[in-house]
Amino acid sequence: MSMFLDGQLFDKFGVEYSPSDIIFCEYEPGNEFYFIQNGRVKIVKIINNTEKTLDILEVGDVFGEMAILEEQPRSASAIAMDHVKLLRFRRENFDALLQGNPQLAYKLLIIFSKRIYDAKRRLMILLLEEPQVKVMDVMCMLSEQDPHLDLQEAITLRVTIQEVANWAGMQIADVQKILSHLNQLGKIELFNDKIVVKNIRDFQRIVSSRRKNMFS
Amino acid sequence: MSNGAMGQTSGIVTRRYKHGSIVYFENDKSEYIYILKGGRVILTSVKVDTGEEVKEEIKPGEFFGVKSSLGKYPREETAQTIGETVLLVLTLADFERLVLQNVNVVRKMLRIFSNQLRRIGKSQREVLGESESINPAEELFKIGEYYFKVGRVQQAQYAYKRYMEYYPDGKYSGPSMQRIRAIESGSAGGGDDFPPAGPPVPPSGPVRSDENVDFTDFSIDDEKPAAPAPSPSRSPLDDFGGEAASSSPLASEMDDFFSEGKSVDFGDDPFSGGDMNVTNGKNGKGVAENFYAAMSKFSQEDYAGALALYAGILEVRNLKNESEAKIFEKAHFEIGRCHLKLGKFTEALTAFSNMIKKFPGSENVKNALFHMGVVYESVKKADKAAAYYNRVIPMEPKDSINKLAAKRLKAMENGKVP
Repeated sequence: MSMFLDGQLFDKFGVEYSPSDIIFCEYEPGNEFYFIQNGRVKIVKIINNTEKTLDILEVGDVFGEMAILEEQPRSASAIAMDHVKLLRFRRENFDALLQGNPQLAYKLLIIFSKRIYDAKRRLMILLLEEPQVKVMDVMCMLSEQDPHLDLQEAITLRVTIQEVANWAGMQIADVQKILSHLNQLGKIELFNDKIVVKNIRDFQRIVSSRRKNMFS
Repeated sequence: MSNGAMGQTSGIVTRRYKHGSIVYFENDKSEYIYILKGGRVILTSVKVDTGEEVKEEIKPGEFFGVKSSLGKYPREETAQTIGETVLLVLTLADFERLVLQNVNVVRKMLRIFSNQLRRIGKSQREVLGESESINPAEELFKIGEYYFKVGRVQQAQYAYKRYMEYYPDGKYSGPSMQRIRAIESGSAGGGDDFPPAGPPVPPSGPVRSDENVDFTDFSIDDEKPAAPAPSPSRSPLDDFGGEAASSSPLASEMDDFFSEGKSVDFGDDPFSGGDMNVTNGKNGKGVAENFYAAMSKFSQEDYAGALALYAGILEVRNLKNESEAKIFEKAHFEIGRCHLKLGKFTEALTAFSNMIKKFPGSENVKNALFHMGVVYESVKKADKAAAYYNRVIPMEPKDSINKLAAKRLKAMENGKVP
């Protein structure tokens, strides 16, 4: 994106942070959003007295974008991982910014489209009633994210139990139990950093039939 | 499609469809984006949280297929034509060129996208059982405490300083200042357990309990109701007045449900909102725009603000077209919801019954009846509430509202709500 090379834009909107600086903090009011020009930013949330990493963002990513619509408390904290250069935009001058940078507007449209889909997909997982099916659906979702996977074969998902638990909105111990069970049944192979799913189609069928019956 | 935006779009394909043609199916993958040039297109989708089927009509000049195309994911709805229909078919590159020339379109889409994202986020938090009634000030202080106790004083410092900035007279300003001084003097570093940040918020279960509905502040007879807003007609209402301290958890549960469901089927989608017409030069505050603004205010829990805007729509005398007429009708219903949120139960009942009288054939009638049940339940008139729920339950078409009415009825019978 050419706008990232625009020195003037940086002069006007640029901010820099050192490693482990907080850019914004969970629950603080927010009316600014950011584009990453350099470095990485960690999105974290304190859940049950533990800091959980929700995402790691890199050059070209945007964050804090909910502030475009309205001022509301931040739902997570953003912490610089490296020496980070950001473009910081305030809600008030968003319109002027768009007029001058239609490319940015277009980029935001794409980002929002993706976020909406991801958020909806996650909601679909959370709405499932049975914990086993939730866990299966997390694996289905992960398999959808990689268009190169051959779903007829066993597939490898790079995911930890903790991450599955986060996606499913479940306790890690409960997820552990379900995954161990699936492991014993030979449906999956469980590793520290990955899960091999023998037949993801099977999971997809189960999930979709549960989902169909949810409202009938 | 007559002017401006479409001027520089050579290369865009125009495609004609017969009545009933499918432009695309749900779950199809395709990068095309469409603009309705002539005829009609209906989008049919299913709400993920309620399973309801939602139909939306695209108006001439509007885009559809945008999100899935931009995000490169499967279509979330099925698009079908009604009558002879002409569509402009855009590739992503065409679309990009087009919107870069018309930032206003992008801005409107962004607003709508952002709003959708927020709604989904809200649904997620509800499913996860995260409380809506958290106190951001206290939570911000607790974030500081977390980092302080694990020895990450720099990050703790940030949270305390923000706390002092936003809440200089807040409950935790004293402790925050002490922490800041301790960190600055270098004497801090995790461990000690001062001061208590209040009891930790226990993770609430995913199911909300109705048992803590508190109507101790509500009095049926103390106050005379203020003059009901849109109409003086009061039957079939009881003459109970007064205001509850706030809307009940129950009412808010209902409202949350409806804010994701039935009542947002207009204007919630970027491609059905009346203001997405690229060819339309005038952007005055029209009915659709005010309706959208009201919805936005409602979603931001500014119910009084939303109410004022909806009431304004009721004042409009020259409705331009069918879509404005639909909004006009919907505004009558929404006014009831605002009153319900504001705890003005009499006014809410008046608004709903007014709506039903004025638009007896409206698709919102069932929803209004259901909400009247909720109002009666909120003021502990169980038999009245049950009567309304019983009316709703057999009403066609059966959807989540029927289910919800049955659920509420059952809960009442089990004595969960007095």
